[in-house]
Formats: sequence, structure tokens, C-alpha cells
Amino acid sequence: MQPTIQYKTQKIAYWFFAACMLLFALQLIYGFILGFARMGYDGLHEWIPFNVARATHTNLLVVWLLTGFMGAAYFIIPEESERELWMPKLAWVQLVSLLLVGVVAIVGYHVNWWEGRKFLEIPRELDWLVVVNVLTFLLIIFMTIWKGKRKTTTAMVLFFGLLSAALLYLPGMITFENLTFDSFFRWWVVHLWVEGVWELIMGAILSFLLIKLTGIDREVIEKWLYVIVGFTFLSGILGTGHHYYFTGTPRYWLMIGGIFSALEPLAFLGMAIYALAMARRGGRKAPNRIALMWTLGCAVMSFVGAGFLGFAHTLPQVNIWTHGTLVTAMHGHLAFWGAYAMIVLAMISYAMPELTGRSMFKGWKAEWAFWTTNIGMLGMTGAFAVMGVAQVYLERKGGMDFLEVQESLEVHAFGLVLAAALLTLGVVLFIKNFLEYGLPVEVDSSSNSSGGGSVLATPQRPQED
Amino acid sequence: MLTKSQAKAFFLGGTALCGVAFLLLTLDTLAQMPARSNQDAMSEEVVRGHMIWNKNNCMGCHTILGEGAYYAPELTQVVERRGKEWIAAFLEDPESFYPGRRKMIKYDFYDPAIVGAEEAARNKADTIAFLEWVGNIDTNGFPAEPDLVQGAATQEIDPTKLEGAPEMFRNICFGCHQVGGQGGNVGPALDGVSERFEEDYLRQWIADPQAVKPGTTMPKFPMDEATLDAIVQYLQTL
Ligand code: HEC
Ligand code: HEC
Ligand code: HEM
Ligand code: HEM
Ligand SMILES: [Fe+2]
Repeated sequence: MQPTIQYKTQKIAYWFFAACMLLFALQLIYGFILGFARMGYDGLHEWIPFNVARATHTNLLVVWLLTGFMGAAYFIIPEESERELWMPKLAWVQLVSLLLVGVVAIVGYHVNWWEGRKFLEIPRELDWLVVVNVLTFLLIIFMTIWKGKRKTTTAMVLFFGLLSAALLYLPGMITFENLTFDSFFRWWVVHLWVEGVWELIMGAILSFLLIKLTGIDREVIEKWLYVIVGFTFLSGILGTGHHYYFTGTPRYWLMIGGIFSALEPLAFLGMAIYALAMARRGGRKAPNRIALMWTLGCAVMSFVGAGFLGFAHTLPQVNIWTHGTLVTAMHGHLAFWGAYAMIVLAMISYAMPELTGRSMFKGWKAEWAFWTTNIGMLGMTGAFAVMGVAQVYLERKGGMDFLEVQESLEVHAFGLVLAAALLTLGVVLFIKNFLEYGLPVEVDSSSNSSGGGSVLATPQRPQED
Repeated sequence: MLTKSQAKAFFLGGTALCGVAFLLLTLDTLAQMPARSNQDAMSEEVVRGHMIWNKNNCMGCHTILGEGAYYAPELTQVVERRGKEWIAAFLEDPESFYPGRRKMIKYDFYDPAIVGAEEAARNKADTIAFLEWVGNIDTNGFPAEPDLVQGAATQEIDPTKLEGAPEMFRNICFGCHQVGGQGGNVGPALDGVSERFEEDYLRQWIADPQAVKPGTTMPKFPMDEATLDAIVQYLQTL
């Protein structure tokens, strides 16, 4: 079969996705180190103590998600702007330098070179390289849109999501002597990313996929995209207050953070309803059923992980007990998985047949990968939930000693590792499937670019709202 | 029905409104935070302790102000919970305090045998000053007092029981054991311990817990004969 991408520079996305797969696999290995340590098997403590494994685990997560977003942008923007990427060679430089910075950072963690603030462990010197790298990426995307034939809402939302994510990285680079200021601005990055601008990125990718997979009219999809990201910011910006309850910040945040963050699930609920409604209306005609499964799965699981489980501990009356316990880890896993891991995997599932011209999505592997990863992740969420709730009652409410409680939870950490093994099985299948697609095939863009519309996605048809 | 441009206006308007409100609140919060965190009391030691904290990513195992990792104890109130001498002795050799249990890193910079007595003492003092300063931040009541306590809460608090305790007992043992309803909760409360154990047994136990009960999690503390006597004598009064 002929590859179906219309612009040959879209091919670069493949290499970003390949990097994604590699980093994801590594993330899981470090996840197991953490899981085993929690079971009481900390044999690696001398070489890879918990804080090293943890920083590596979470940073690899963030890096593979960002790599996935970048790959998605390099795939989507040419199609939306109807032109080749601006300076594709620079995109290569950007990929390689991103990976280099990532490797140096990870190695650095293993020799105690970092900045101990959760999620922002990258040392300052490397932060600057990250900034330069991301600026390069944004420049390529910006120039492509700028010179493109059209500026679609999807492309603009994606671009502004990426741009704001880059800008919000900066407050995390300020040094403070006062710990409470460290904490205050750490949330400008962590919270305003995942409950703000990353949702723009996710929403834009989601609408791109829905336009392609359901064939519904762009105008309808993009209108609802605005409504959803509108709700995101309406609740999410002041919702930052749910991290300012107990960290040396004024008491009014209990009220403001409580009310606005309690509204945040609405944006995720909206996203789920919107995706399901569009898919139903479009009649699920797309041959690439797996991509649609990941797309809809993402919309649903992000509501469960971020919306529902986020709401579960966001009110100050609850959070005073659960703050900084394994309840947070429960929510963190399913939220990151449902919203961001799944949107990247959806994008990869959609793009691979287009990039390689092979329809490997039909076999059992792709389907099993979807189900085992999701069931595994739900199992992990359950194990974290049991550990978290037990910790809250025994330690926080019952006054038992921390370590005594933790030791009594080791058996549940075993459950965590079992569920993680299922998840890992699914990821192995996904990666195997990815490899079986093979490399992207050369495209002769001169004959293709006027063709319009891929053969694997359903053609667009107009719809009423 | 809603049009696309209305939807866009909703998005832009809502975002602008909330963004401005957030920035205004931020300004007010930043103005209040120095007082709420006792910035005046932030001595050079505290700042150095904060740097030790960041440079070594202690937050990768511990939470502080409820933020960080969930592998090791929440440290906001640790000075109140354990006492400064306890923490200083602990940092020097964490594993000896919790034999055979979840491990903390044994840092060279706390070890007098590696960086010299002066340097190690300074690093410990800096860390403890930092932790003590954190303990005084106004956190709107976090961490909350346990509200389901049976054992500890039903027992009358009786500070007179600690009177006459040797210094070693107050500084170290008390961080893990309760006496008169106060103290740590790592080991059992020591009230009435003289009724449970013979004097000789207590002496052997404190001198070398592993010899008496292999695999026990009660640590061994090097101490001279006089201190041991004083502690055993004191335990007899409980
Ligand atoms: C590898 C994980 C890890 C790292 C990193 C770590 N700790 Fe710990 N820490 C622990 C564990 C686990 C305990 C519980 C006691 C034990 O088992 O040693 C603990 C206990 C403590 C305690 C006593 C708490 C209590 O309630 O008894 C203090 C104080 C402490 N750590 C300070 C620090 C400081 C300061 C740093 C950074 C310089 C640090 N820790 C880094 C794992 C860690
Ligand atoms: C790091 C925490 C820790 C410190 C410090 C500590 N202990 Fe203990 N202690 C324990 C633990 C844990 C046990 C329970 C051991 C067991 O049952 O195997 C224990 C048990 C005991 C017992 C037996 C109590 C009983 O009812 O079974 C006595 C007596 C005792 N400790 C005295 C002391 C004295 C005296 C000191 C100070 C020199 C001290 N402990 C310091 C943790 C500690
Ligand atoms: C996809 C979106 C989301 C992701 C990826 C996510 C992820 C996370 C992570 C990783 C943390 C731990 C952060 C840290 O301690 O540094 C966290 C904390 C938290 N999240 Fe979310 N979250 C999302 C959405 C939400 C939503 C919508 C809500 C509320 C309705 C919410 C409520 C909370 C609360 C209250 C905490 C603080 C927990 C504590 O006090 O320890 N989250 N989230
Ligand atoms: C092999 C599978 C995995 C295992 C065993 C595992 C286990 C763990 C453990 C034990 C922690 C540390 C919790 C603590 O501080 O004690 C952790 C942190 C974290 N992991 Fe995983 N994990 C796995 C996969 C994943 C995946 C697939 C994701 C993302 C989708 C993820 C996201 C996170 C996040 C966001 C945190 C930080 C949570 C927080 O700070 O609240 N993990 N993981
Ligand atoms: Fe948040």
C-alpha cells in the first residue's frame, strides 16, 4: 500500500514517536524499581536509591509525553496548514538535541546532580538548553503555520498550548531562599501544565483525531473545542488554589481553590461527552478502529483519572488528610495515563498507518495492547487507592508511626507490581506492533499534496450541529 | 444555538477574567507569604539547610509541607516529633536507628568520620535549623492532629513523668517512646515498663537489643556505664 501522508516532512513525526516508545519503556523499568522498593526489596538502594529512581521515572514520563506532543505537532501542523514543515532539517537537530539533554539529565540524577523539587529536578544549566530546544521547536511550528495556506482553530489551539507550556516552564527556573516560594511557583509549572495548557494540546490533538476518524465537519468539532478549553481555563487557573491550602499561603485559597478546582472535572466530563457524541454521530466508519479506541478511551479515562479521582481529594476538608499521601499517587497515575499517555498513544496509532502505508492495526496485538494496558493501569490505581486510604486512616487519622503503616502495606505493593506487569505486557505488545509497521516510506509529495484526504480516514462530510 | 465565534469569545473572555483574578491574588499572596513563613527568622543556617535539602533531592523520598514523595516520613513537624538531638544522631547514621527497615541514604556530609567533626556538625545544624523553621510556617493547620486516636489520646498527658529523666533519655529515647502520653510512637510506650521487665533484663536490652532479641527494630546506642545506669534507674520509676 502507498503511504498516505500528504507532506513528506510529516515523516519526522515517526522518529519522535520511536523515541517516545524507547523512553516509555525505560520509564516502566524505573517504575518497577520503585514498586519493588515499596515491597521491601530495595536491593538497588546503594546504586539507585528511591529518589533517583523516582526522579527518573517521572522525568522520563514528562519527556516522552512532550516528545509525543512534538511528534504530534510535526504530523498535524503540515496537514492543517497545507504545506511542508518549515526547515525540516532543523526539526532533526531539535529531536537529537532533545534526546541528548534528556540523557544527560537522567545520567546526572544518578550522580546526585539535580535540583530537588519534584518534577522540576533538571539542573538549571540544562534548563536553559531545554528552553533553547523548545524555542526551536516552536519556531518551526510557528513558521509552518505562518506560511501555511490556512490557519485552522485546531492548529492555533495546538500552537498556543505548546507556546504557553514553554512560557510556564520559566517560573520554575527562579531560585528562592524561602521554601514556600519554591512551592508556590513549582505549581505554576506542574498544575498550570497538566490542568491548564496541556489540556489545550490534548484538546487540539483530540479534535484533529475526531475530524479525521469520524468525518464530522470541522466547524462543529472546533466549536466544541473552544467550549471545552474555555471550561478548562475558567476552572483550572483559579483551581491552582487546591495546591495553596497548606503551604504557607493565605487562608482564602481554601475557599477559592476548593470551589474552582471542584469545577475542573466539568472540562474533562465535557471532553468525554464530546468525543463519544462525535464518534456516535460520525458512525465510526474509520477503518483504523484502534486509533478510535485510543481516542475515545483517552476521553473517558481522563475523566476518570483526572476528573473523578481528582475531585475525590480536591476539597480542603478531604485534602487536609490526603495531602501528600499515596492517594495522590493513585490520582497522579490514572490522570497522567488517561489524559496524556493515551492521547499520545492514540496519535501514534492514528499516524503509523499513514506514515508507513501499512495497516498493522488490524491484528490482535494492537487490540490486546489497548485492553491490557488499560486494565493494568486500573489495577495499579486500585492498589494505590487501597494503600492511600489505609495510610490516611492509620497514619494521618490514627496517629500510627509512618514506617509501621508502610510496612503493613507491602502486600498491596505486591498487587501494584502485578498490575504493573499486566500494563507492561500491553506496552510490550504496543511497541512490538509499532516495530512491525516498519520505517516510514518515501513519499513523492509533488504528486500527493494536491490529492487531499487520506485513504485510511473517512472523507469529511458536512454535518449539522 | 451557540456559534463558533460565540464559543471563541467564551474561551477568550473566561480565560482573561480568570487570568487577571489569579494574578491579583498572586500579588496579595506573595505579599503575605514572608510573614506567614517567618521570613525574618530565616537565618543563614536555614537557607543553607534549604540548599542541602534541594541539592540532594530529599523531596524524592520525603514530603515537606505535604509535597514530595510518599516513601519516607512527612517532615514538616519532625523537630517537634523527634527533637533536635535525635535528628542529629539519626542523620549521622540513619540505618542504625531503624535496623533492617526501609533505608534512607547515609550522607557523607553528615558523617564526622568522612568530612570532619566541624563540617558534619554544621551540616546537621543547618538541616535541623531548616526543618525547625519549616515547622513554624503557618500552614492553615497541616498536618492535622489525628482524630481517631484511641491509645494515645485516652491516656492522660502527664509531663511530671519525664522529670528526673537523664538527658540521653529525653534527647534520644523519648523521640521513639512515649512516657506520660507524650513522645514518639516508633516503639511501645514505656509507662509501667518496670512492671513488665526485670531490671537486669532492661539493662541487657538497652545495652544491646539484638543480643536479647535478634531481628528487633529497637536500635543500639553507644553509651557509657553511668548513662546506662541512670536510664535503667529512671525506667524503674515508671
Ligand atoms: C532514599 C530515600 C531517602 C532520601 C533521599 C532521604 N531520606 Fe530521610 N528518611 C528516609 C526513610 C525511609 C526514613 C524513615 C526512617 C528510616 O527507615 O531510616 C527517613 C527518615 C528521615 C528523618 C526522620 C524522620 C522521622 O520522622 O523519624 C529525617 C529527619 C530525614 N529522613 C531527613 C532527610 C534529609 C534531610 C534528607 C536529604 C538530605 C533525606 N532525609 C533524604 C528516606 C530518605
Ligand atoms: C529509633 C527508635 C527508637 C529509639 C531511639 C529507642 N527505641 Fe526503644 N524500642 C524501639 C522499638 C521499635 C522497640 C520495640 C522492639 C521490639 O519489640 O522488638 C523498642 C523497645 C524498647 C523497650 C521494650 C519495651 C516493651 O514494652 O517491649 C524498651 C525498654 C526500650 N525500647 C527502651 C529504650 C531506651 C531506654 C531508649 C534510649 C536509650 C530507646 N528505647 C530508644 C525503638 C526505639
Ligand atoms: C490530566 C490532568 C491531571 C493530571 C495529569 C494530574 C496529576 C497530578 C499529579 C502528578 C499530582 C501530584 C503533584 C505533586 O505533588 O507534585 C496531582 C496532585 C493533585 N491533583 Fe491532579 N492531575 C490532573 C487533574 C486534576 C483535577 C481535574 C483535579 C481536581 C478536580 C486534581 C486534583 C489534584 C489535587 C487536589 C492534588 C493535590 C494532592 C495532594 O494534596 O497531595 N487533579 N495531580
Ligand atoms: C511499571 C509500571 C509502574 C510502576 C510499578 C509505578 C510505580 C510508581 C511508584 C511506586 C511511584 C512513587 C510513589 C511514591 O512516591 O512512593 C510512582 C510515581 C509516579 N508514577 Fe509510576 N509506576 C508505573 C508506571 C507509570 C506510568 C505508566 C505512569 C504514567 C502514565 C506513571 C506516572 C507516575 C507519576 C506521575 C508519579 C508521581 C506521582 C506523584 O508524585 O504523586 N507511572 N510510580
Ligand atoms: Fe492541580
